[in-house]
Amino acid sequence: MADWLEGLDLEPNDRPRAGPSFVERARHAPDDDYPIADDFGRPNLLGAVEEEEETPFQQLTRHWMNERQAPDILPGQEMLLGRILDHVRKQSDDVQLLRADPDSSEDEHFRIMLVQTEIERVKFVVRSYIRTRLYKIEKYARWISTTAEVHEKLSKAELDHARRYARLTEYHFNQSVLQSLPPQQRSLEDDMAFMPPMIPEPDKLRPVFVHARQECPPVRLPDGTSIAMEKGRISLTPYYIVEQLLLRGEVELV
Amino acid sequence: MALPPPLRTSVTPAELELIACEQLVDIIPLVAMERTAFISGAYGPLRPPAKCKVPIWMATNLKLKKKCHIVPPDWLNVDFLQDRLTRETSQPEFSELPFRFAEVAKVILDVASDDISNPEKVRSLLQDIREARQAKSRDGVSKLDHSELSLPNLCAMEINEIRPFFVRSMGVLTQLVRQPDPGRMDQME
Repeated sequence: MADWLEGLDLEPNDRPRAGPSFVERARHAPDDDYPIADDFGRPNLLGAVEEEEETPFQQLTRHWMNERQAPDILPGQEMLLGRILDHVRKQSDDVQLLRADPDSSEDEHFRIMLVQTEIERVKFVVRSYIRTRLYKIEKYARWISTTAEVHEKLSKAELDHARRYARLTEYHFNQSVLQSLPPQQRSLEDDMAFMPPMIPEPDKLRPVFVHARQECPPVRLPDGTSIAMEKGRISLTPYYIVEQLLLRGEVELV
Repeated sequence: MALPPPLRTSVTPAELELIACEQLVDIIPLVAMERTAFISGAYGPLRPPAKCKVPIWMATNLKLKKKCHIVPPDWLNVDFLQDRLTRETSQPEFSELPFRFAEVAKVILDVASDDISNPEKVRSLLQDIREARQAKSRDGVSKLDHSELSLPNLCAMEINEIRPFFVRSMGVLTQLVRQPDPGRMDQME
């Protein structure tokens, strides 16, 4: 877990597997030392979000909730995570500096305490976000390592972990049980009728609660009709129906 | 385990509260503080007795140290909630309430009930509204099918409450109507 975090943490700019949405984000992301209320034009990214611009932390919270609710693994927000972690580090450094100052008044201590409280809140969301991804990566490790389309959604560290994890479990199964079985029963990829597949895959049929953040193009439902996802609409619908809208950030999962 | 089993299928109320506490609320500070940069934005300066907008988590923190009064949001008072309750019980649809009203109301009532006029009445109204809405969402099960269910004005906490049952029910309905996979059919023959 520790070096997992570190991997993400230290390589915010190392993005060899940048997917399209990721590149898009990178292009529109402001520089590191962004001002607090950053009102950069990010038209494709956020479009018409409420009236106010989303702060990076609000974006992370949204991605965190999406990741928690979505059955599939979503594109990793490495860039955003990098910015937030940089900011956390900067705030922590400032706190350290202020605390070291013997002249700081009662009033200062009180501000420091508030800043620290916030740092802990942000860290909680960051951790929970990463843990959610880690859970999915381990659950679907074998599917991920054999499915090329998923690779672009993962960071390098995540993909390495998925591959290593898949290799380890396979090795373990072989060593502990499979090698003692008759050869025709050793496979880890049996496809039996009426049985769930041996390589678990995300269940995109699973329904999710979705909230439209803006006017969305109509979507086609499984029963053949189509509905307009107008702004503010909350629906319960299978995940694959809204997958594209979610990847474009037009809807969020709630 | 990366994610403990109880967190895998749903979000916890505590996590929803954490999200809701990022919302801004007016406070009347009792201490002065310079404008300070936080990760979510810059807040302040606090100059008693001028009102100031800060996130709810900060307001509760200050309130617990008796360093401010919280100005409850417009909707957190007897008149407004009474009106909503009347609508809720007389009309079939859900009435419009802030998306995270349950979390915000709980936090503010917990730490700052002395800043709300008639907190007992507010609590009981919230409870009545909750029950009226719960009955409606249970009725919603009958409208459930395999493709889509629209839930206008449903709030975060309510969605979280019905999530496990609704998701599972719709999953079953989806399985019932699923077209047989041709590959599988061949195999079976």
